[in-house]
Amino acid sequence: MPEVILTMKGIDKSFPGVHALDHVDFEVRKGEVHALMGENGAGKSTLMKVLTGIYTKDSGTITYEGREVTFANPREAQQAGIVIVHQELNMMGHLTVAQNIFIGREPKKGIRIDDNAMNVEATKLFKQLGIEIDPKTTMSELTVAKQQMCEIAKAISHDAKVIIFDEPTAALTDTEIEQLFVIIRDLRAKGYGIVYISHRMDEIKKITDRVSVMRDGQYIGTLITEDCTKEDIINMMVGRVIYEDPKTQSQCPPDAPVVLKVEHLNAGKMVQDVSFELKKGEILGFAGLVGAGRTETCRALFGADPKQGGDIYIEGKKVEIHSPKDAVEHGLSYLSEDRKRYGIVLKKSITENSTLATLKEYTKGLFIDRPKEEKVTQRYVDELRTKTPGIDQLVMNLSGGNQQKVVIAKWLVNDAKIMIFDEPTRGIDVGAKQEIYELMGRLVKEGKSIIMISSEMTEILRMSDRILVMCEGKKTGELDIAEATQENIMNLATRDIDMREGDK
Amino acid sequence: MKEALNKFKSLKLVRMMGFNRVVLIGVIILMYILFTILSPILHQGTNFAQVSRLLSALNYGYFIGFLALGVTFVIATGNIDFSIGPVMFCSALISGYCMKQYAFPLWLCLIMCVLIGAVFGTVGGAFVAYLHLPSFITSMALMQVAKGLGSVFTKTQTVSWPQGDAPNTWFRNFVRYKGIPTGLIFLIVVAIICAIVLNHTRAGRYIICLGANKEAVRLSGVDTRRWEMLAFIICGALAGFAAIFYVGAYTTVQPGMGDTFNNEAIAACVMGGTSMAGGLASILGTVIGAFIVALMQEGILAMGFSISYQYALTGLIVLGAVIADTLSRRRSN
Ligand SMILES: Nc1ncnc2c1ncn2[C@@H]1O[C@H](COP(=O)(O)OP(=O)(O)OP(=O)(O)O)[C@@H](O)[C@H]1O
Ligand SMILES: [Mg+2]
Repeated sequence: MPEVILTMKGIDKSFPGVHALDHVDFEVRKGEVHALMGENGAGKSTLMKVLTGIYTKDSGTITYEGREVTFANPREAQQAGIVIVHQELNMMGHLTVAQNIFIGREPKKGIRIDDNAMNVEATKLFKQLGIEIDPKTTMSELTVAKQQMCEIAKAISHDAKVIIFDEPTAALTDTEIEQLFVIIRDLRAKGYGIVYISHRMDEIKKITDRVSVMRDGQYIGTLITEDCTKEDIINMMVGRVIYEDPKTQSQCPPDAPVVLKVEHLNAGKMVQDVSFELKKGEILGFAGLVGAGRTETCRALFGADPKQGGDIYIEGKKVEIHSPKDAVEHGLSYLSEDRKRYGIVLKKSITENSTLATLKEYTKGLFIDRPKEEKVTQRYVDELRTKTPGIDQLVMNLSGGNQQKVVIAKWLVNDAKIMIFDEPTRGIDVGAKQEIYELMGRLVKEGKSIIMISSEMTEILRMSDRILVMCEGKKTGELDIAEATQENIMNLATRDIDMREGDK
Repeated sequence: MKEALNKFKSLKLVRMMGFNRVVLIGVIILMYILFTILSPILHQGTNFAQVSRLLSALNYGYFIGFLALGVTFVIATGNIDFSIGPVMFCSALISGYCMKQYAFPLWLCLIMCVLIGAVFGTVGGAFVAYLHLPSFITSMALMQVAKGLGSVFTKTQTVSWPQGDAPNTWFRNFVRYKGIPTGLIFLIVVAIICAIVLNHTRAGRYIICLGANKEAVRLSGVDTRRWEMLAFIICGALAGFAAIFYVGAYTTVQPGMGDTFNNEAIAACVMGGTSMAGGLASILGTVIGAFIVALMQEGILAMGFSISYQYALTGLIVLGAVIADTLSRRRSN
């Protein structure tokens, strides 16, 4: 076996009210991909933040390349060769891609920053990774997926020996994930030690060599990936077995009334003449590659972005939606894919976030009805099993998956009849994912209708009654779940691209 | 040492008020002691520990307090308002001029003060919330408008509100009545109302949340523009209130002035723990901050320094408070 490059022993860390790490052990060898798994709030990100000097540990030792080390800040860790790709994106929106990648270590010409050299370097880096991004575009113009790729490029551009990926694929689609895996395999062959955090079980089997599992801040054990099954890992994580079977038949009666009809929706380049219907009690899956225009379609429908044209009918009546306020008043809700930017108010508490879309109903006379508000918040904290010391906790102190649960709670409190879920299970652990699927099932049984955008093929095939496929801003097809397969969805999702390539 | 500090921080009263506020109260007491010791040394024959000094500091604290309360709402939304001082003067000038020149009744003039302030707030708020102009620029422009308007309307004359034995001086009772500092009562009542609005109403919740993440609030189906504008209206109306308490204490107003009070009000606000980045506000902190500013100006005068020192010191306080705010945010990240 290759040599151990990094050992963490007896790491302990507490936050007010939370014992986040309870004497955790962890090690990384050269040339291995070591998965770190566990439920939301198990302490994975915290362990990695302790390692890279973002948090200081309460006790325990870290041995790196045979020496005991303590990094005071991420920069020191970086200089020693340990870099981390964070779960939450940390890019400066107003800077260019290249400027972001080389921030703090820009190539200089005299005293001025040499932007040209920077762009050349970035281009080289992207080529090496096989991704197509123009280093001169500003970061905020990129989709979440592309931004994520930039984060990865930035990490690799350091002279690293250990690279930590904290849920790198949460925002990526299958093709991009394949790309990432090629990169990771290459890094492994070069002898890097890689820590890989993810909630997607099939990735773990595909890419990792060993799996370490954490639960409630404790280290549970390590498995050799080859010698165990998916179920073994899940069992170790949540203490029970979970099965994921695709849906084979639509659960929505064929004569169900149409609740939402969208005709010839146009909004910029990303939404071109999209029309579709949504029935009562139906889950309509939106499939496609990243950048297919699914999010843009839903944002235009919800009034979040201006549209150039198109008619929207709700329960047969034509409605005008010019702002999210109009949309909410007409019984629509939209759970955004980008929770940090569009979903939650990080500086505020779980309670304040949970009732944000429905505050009017939680006021008595002039004042906010605190007890009522707290009651409903507590209800959804329990129902979604959000891990927190209390409902007054600031959302920024929650783990990534638990933040996502708060956003979901906000829209469940709102109780709209048409719910748009854009990547609802992003960053959510297998157990909780299962619960959210069950919850969606319950919601449609109660007569609500759901549009679900998902980049995870298994999720699309498991939840949808009908699937709408988009490619480059156009709708390329619609499939009933009974006829849908990975292959025909992928075909539709790349149809325009194929046709164009065929022309050449 | 560290343990004692933590123990102190976890006391019930300290937790309720916030550590920062407790420190500020300590600062007030220290300042008072310092001025009492230093002023007779630096400035022969002055005695700082007199009731009259304290009352004069209070007078200054009232109108700064109202200005600071108002701007707290604006800063909570992540914006800034540099027009409040001149707006305060503008409303005092216009309504005072109307009283003298056109014999408007006093009660009408008082209402006018608040209305003029509110109009300025509405205009500024509309530009910022609906047209997405930066509040920095908008309020700078409005500051000039307020100064200019006050001068034009009064033909650049100093306006004196009734005082001494003249009739219609009952508005001065708002500031002091038979030796009782009534202004303090008004300020506290308004501050309590502000705290309730900010912490227990929908408007306050939206104002603070949109200061922290406007896009997330908008996508929750809230018309953020309306609430953002409301913060400016509240701010303007409170500048009008401040005008009443200014003339109640000092009676004369000069056109073309007032901008120094902007910084003092903002300093009070930021010192008190309201974050310049938006999303975090403390009414109690603002009130305490206002009294620190007031005590400081009284102390500087008592020690025989010119008032220009006050301006420089306020500038430094704003700088210090913003640095402290930024650092604490960086540490918590
Ligand atoms: N800065 C903080 N202040 C208070 N509590 C925190 C802070 N950071 C993390 N925690 C808590 O520590 C626990 C572990 O969080 P961590 O982010 O490590 O979880 P995770 O395993 O990465 O989960 P996820 O899969 O959801 O990302 C959680 O209960 C979280 O609420
Ligand atoms: Mg995490």
